[in-house]
Amino acid sequence: MNNPISRKQFLQICGTVATGTAIVSVSGFSVRRMMRDEADHFWQIDPSKCTFCGRCETDCVLSVSAVKCIHANKVCGYCDLCGGYYRANVKDLNTAAENLMCPTGAIVRKYIEDPYFEYTIDENLCNGCGKCAKGCNSFGNGSLYLQVKQELCKNCNECKISKVCPAGAIQRVPANKAYMLKDA
Amino acid sequence: MNSKIFIVTVSVIIIYLVIIIGWHVYVPQKEFTMQVPGADNRPPETARKADEVRIGEFFMRYEDTNSSLTGKWICFRGENYSNIIRTTDKLTLGQDSFPVLWGVETGEGHAAPVIYNGLAYFLDYDENLSSDMLRCFSLETGKEQWRRWYRVPMKRNHGFSRTVPFISDDFIITIGPQGHLMCCNPVTGDLLWSKDMQKEFKTEVPFWYTGQCPRVDDGILVIAPAGEDVLLAGIDCKTGETVWETPNTIKFKMSHSSVTPMNLLGKKCYVYAGIGGVCSVSAEKEDRGKLLWIQTKWQPSVIAPSPLQLSAGSIFLVAGYGAGGGMLKVDNSGNRWTTTITEQYKANEGLSSEQQTPILYNNMIITVIPKDGGSLRGKLVVYSPSDLHNPVWSSGADERFGLGPYLVINDRLFVFKDDGELYIYAISANKMQLEKKQRILEGVDAWGSMAYADGRLLVRDAHHIKCIKIN
Repeated sequence: MNNPISRKQFLQICGTVATGTAIVSVSGFSVRRMMRDEADHFWQIDPSKCTFCGRCETDCVLSVSAVKCIHANKVCGYCDLCGGYYRANVKDLNTAAENLMCPTGAIVRKYIEDPYFEYTIDENLCNGCGKCAKGCNSFGNGSLYLQVKQELCKNCNECKISKVCPAGAIQRVPANKAYMLKDA
Repeated sequence: MNSKIFIVTVSVIIIYLVIIIGWHVYVPQKEFTMQVPGADNRPPETARKADEVRIGEFFMRYEDTNSSLTGKWICFRGENYSNIIRTTDKLTLGQDSFPVLWGVETGEGHAAPVIYNGLAYFLDYDENLSSDMLRCFSLETGKEQWRRWYRVPMKRNHGFSRTVPFISDDFIITIGPQGHLMCCNPVTGDLLWSKDMQKEFKTEVPFWYTGQCPRVDDGILVIAPAGEDVLLAGIDCKTGETVWETPNTIKFKMSHSSVTPMNLLGKKCYVYAGIGGVCSVSAEKEDRGKLLWIQTKWQPSVIAPSPLQLSAGSIFLVAGYGAGGGMLKVDNSGNRWTTTITEQYKANEGLSSEQQTPILYNNMIITVIPKDGGSLRGKLVVYSPSDLHNPVWSSGADERFGLGPYLVINDRLFVFKDDGELYIYAISANKMQLEKKQRILEGVDAWGSMAYADGRLLVRDAHHIKCIKIN
């Protein structure tokens, strides 16, 4: 003989199920939304805040930083005496290694017409040290600047570079604005 | 057993030998790219020599600010070459500090600014780029508007930059530490013309570099190259063409002093204190550039201050490094000019100055006594032109100013101590009263002259320029 549950018990079970379902649904929805938001955001450097301190090179979790130098051709002055290309107090203005600012030779320049040169960045060589960007911003118009390359970045929950960035220049940006380009 | 040991030993030796030989023989060149000259495809004919100077070759614009300000401080010592400003601006002379409106970091040096219609300009030297750099700033915000520069490598010698430009509606002219003349449009920054005094006039740039500031008279730039062939020259400011030259038959050399326009006994002329003596060249249209007189009894080895005219026929001469001061009398009988050094004395015997040009104000000569000036060293002093040996007033023992600049605004003397503290004195007959002092800069060697316009005073030390509002 089955013991029929009382009305009170029935209502208690219904209430428990409804409450449990609501909690699980809300939690699941929240987690899913959070995960989706995280996936839709990237770390990026705000060029207007960057002080070219050099931490991007040394503090990224990757062995070679995901931060690379970007060159805005539309902004560049195409100078022969480029503060981002040459070291301070160089004796000769030529492409010998001892004259160059970039420690990895990642900046390539080509003669256009006297006295103009076109500068490009070899991202495979760039280590994100920012020395060129510092020189360009100090003496030029800031056409060289740093950005996080999204295809290289591990998109860590807590970016190690952002923790040490003295200027607070590294921030989360939405996927549809993954880069903060000067000549966009 | 022995043969086994032998085989093992020989094997080990052979392995080590192979490793060592392989280490030396294998050259991993394919892993490297040689970074050598010529990688930029620069044509050989455009290659630059290390010391090649192309004056004004680089330009960069940052901002384009409009200003309603109309004040002007057009050259070294101002429009009248007196360092005295008469203005209707009401100065803020209470005890409240003057607000610092803006400041900029500069290359090491002493070049001072000019002001024109809301813009401030000075010829900086950028050590990283090894370049003279004419920089233009908004007088209101301190934001850099543009800069034009050229590479001129040189070594530090009490910093690099030195001179004050000359500016007008149509041009701004600068003289670099190595004697490079550059003329630009003051609004657009366009290069108008340039000259290298070392190449064109065979000028020997003095130790501590060129300190001479450009002077313009009736649209003609008057400079003293004091080179092998040319003593003074007049250059058309619009075209850059040399319109007159004074042959350097007297073989003076360039000093740090600037050419000073004067009217001596009714004759307009340019007076120059060079290395070798003092001379005067006519500024009159009919004989412009003609050498009028020279005086070689006054010839210190280093001269920074410019000659100071005291009356129609008398000029006060002063120089540092032990030279002291002197009085030059000029006479003109018929068409014959004669000059006499009526007195000459060491720095500790009377009115003298090492670097700044004294101010003649209401029949008082105001200056700061140099470090070799005896008990008055570093003090602000006032002398009467009739007695160059006994000061009529001197500042207190704790008011010593070193090599700092000074200027007069209405009836107030602004003295900038060379450690960056500004003093303001009220000037009355033959004395001064300290009214206010304020530290503006924390730096060193504040030697560059001050500039004033539109209620704003620009001061500098060896590494900074600051703008303070004083009205």
